Amino acid sequence: MSASQSAVRSRAEAVKVSRTFDWLILFTLFFVVLGGYHIHYMLTGGDWDFWTDWKDRRLWVTVAPIVSITFPAAVQACLWWRYRLPFGAVVCVLGLLLGEWINRYLNFWGWTYFPVNFCFPSNLMPGAIVLDVVLMMTGSMTATAVIGGMAWGLLFYPGNWPIIAPLHVPVEYNGMMMTLADLQGYHYVRTGTPEYIRMVEKGTLRTFGKDVAPVSAFFSAFVSILIYFLWHFFGQWFAKTDFVKAA
Amino acid sequence: MKLIKDKVAKLSFVALLATVSAAMLYTPTASAHGEKSQAAFMRMRTIHWFDLNWSKEEVAVNDTMTISGKFFVFSGWPETVDKPEISFLNIGIPGPVFIRAGSWIGGQLVPRSVSLELGETYDFKVLLKARRPGDWHVHTMLNVKGGGPIIGPGKWVTITGSMGDFVNNITTLTGETINLETYNLENIYFWHAFWYALGLAWLFYWVRKPMFIPRSIAVEAGKADSLITATDKKVAMGFAAGTIAIVAISMGNTNEQFPVTTPLQAGLLRGIKSIEMPATSVNVKVEDATYRVPGRAMQMTLTITNNGDSAVRLGEFNTAGVRFLDSSVAQDETGYPDDLLAEEGLTVSDNSPLAPGQSRTVQVTASDAAWEVYRLADLIYDPDSRFAGLLFFYDEAGNRQLITIDAPLIPTFI
Repeated sequence: MSASQSAVRSRAEAVKVSRTFDWLILFTLFFVVLGGYHIHYMLTGGDWDFWTDWKDRRLWVTVAPIVSITFPAAVQACLWWRYRLPFGAVVCVLGLLLGEWINRYLNFWGWTYFPVNFCFPSNLMPGAIVLDVVLMMTGSMTATAVIGGMAWGLLFYPGNWPIIAPLHVPVEYNGMMMTLADLQGYHYVRTGTPEYIRMVEKGTLRTFGKDVAPVSAFFSAFVSILIYFLWHFFGQWFAKTDFVKAA
Repeated sequence: MKLIKDKVAKLSFVALLATVSAAMLYTPTASAHGEKSQAAFMRMRTIHWFDLNWSKEEVAVNDTMTISGKFFVFSGWPETVDKPEISFLNIGIPGPVFIRAGSWIGGQLVPRSVSLELGETYDFKVLLKARRPGDWHVHTMLNVKGGGPIIGPGKWVTITGSMGDFVNNITTLTGETINLETYNLENIYFWHAFWYALGLAWLFYWVRKPMFIPRSIAVEAGKADSLITATDKKVAMGFAAGTIAIVAISMGNTNEQFPVTTPLQAGLLRGIKSIEMPATSVNVKVEDATYRVPGRAMQMTLTITNNGDSAVRLGEFNTAGVRFLDSSVAQDETGYPDDLLAEEGLTVSDNSPLAPGQSRTVQVTASDAAWEVYRLADLIYDPDSRFAGLLFFYDEAGNRQLITIDAPLIPTFI
């Protein structure tokens, strides 16, 4: 076979090769994103995602969406503009959650015996689905950043509330009131994570009384819009094929 | 040549297999906490733990034990370490092998960070409930913001039984009794599985169609718009609307199911009560101090003045949790860890009772392998070569006085 001849000899073969190629790329993409996004999120979201006694109504709500919209924005840029595939955000979150669950179950629970109900990951899927749908429906980076980014930030807390609410039930413990999540943090000793490291309930949103979660969510949503733009550009830049053209 | 290459390849393969097998099969438990690696000055000049008591050496799963004692927040706190204005009474164990059922300083529960004062002595107690069987090194520990963990003495404690039997029952303020070990697990698994399945459904909707090559060709050919069909848009709208509806409904249901929830509790606990230590009547001046590297011994020249009304003798020098005793004056009856106890490690050139009003200059030698084993000898490599510790004097009635010392230390290498 010469270099100018095709590797396939029929349409059926071409389709088969194309599908094989699809699965190879998707498999590779999934695990590359899983690794990269997981490391990124652990480094930037870290303890806020690790422990229930960090999942508060101010900083967790603010930080987690902002640092997690990054990879979805970048992967969307590649998959949408190159292939019109609107599952960039969802595939990122599927990868991240699989990696996180493997880590939490095998490492946090399997090796160090922290109960899973203390160290489960945050749920990012509602925002990811909406982000993908907005991109698909509008076909616009700006609209996706504004509408989708806003939705990403706003859906985070309510999307997680059914999971964490039972841990915010109060308990009286030796004369002090705390939530069950606080009690988990106190009971399950983390030698390297003293209580003062916890960045929770800090800030000056006192004007809003007990209703600070929506305010934090709106702020997070606003910053998520900006971060979306930035990482969407990163994604577009990384998805360039200039180097292939040169060859 | 080929034969040699084959043999090398085979041996390399065997070596690789052996290495991998060894790494997989030999996984010893990491039981210590780096206490020996911590800079000597951190252990000698920050928190002085004393009168420690581990209530049990063996405890069954679900049973409790306590660690109690006192700690002195050293007045000569090193400048290179932030002061303990934000601190946390922790416990040095390898993960949650115990749960911390309670911890108190000065009688106050301290689940949160506390502010401590230099020069004050505090009593503390930590209540531990056994969770995971094994032999564990259980340390006292204080974390200081800006200073890091300051680990105290540790003792081996054995937990017997099975972790499967462990329960952590708590009654909430809404009257429900739950096992915190497994509480909410099904709910967590359900919601994560549900949302993951929804994400997979969205992904599968797209991956069942040809993906990368045909779509790339279409986009390059300017036919990108043809790749999203009207059905795709309907399905997408269904996913988005369904997602928002599920979030809203599940949140509403959760609020109905858990009408009483509170925010996480945080904040610094101030006003922690220290112990009123009895006034001291002994005055000690450190004339000089040397550490003899080959002999693993520290020698101090002390001028001791007794301003009290009863004769006193020096019984103990305590630094970094290592206790050097003059057995003719003081013995340990608390079961203090052997490796931290030099029962006859303190030698005083003249330790006869020092009568009231008298003053005496003596040579005091604290010698034990612990200097080396606990890497206290590394003090000579610290940024400011000073040592510190507690001296315990005993009068004729057996009363004890605690005197702190803090002075430069000169190493001798010959």
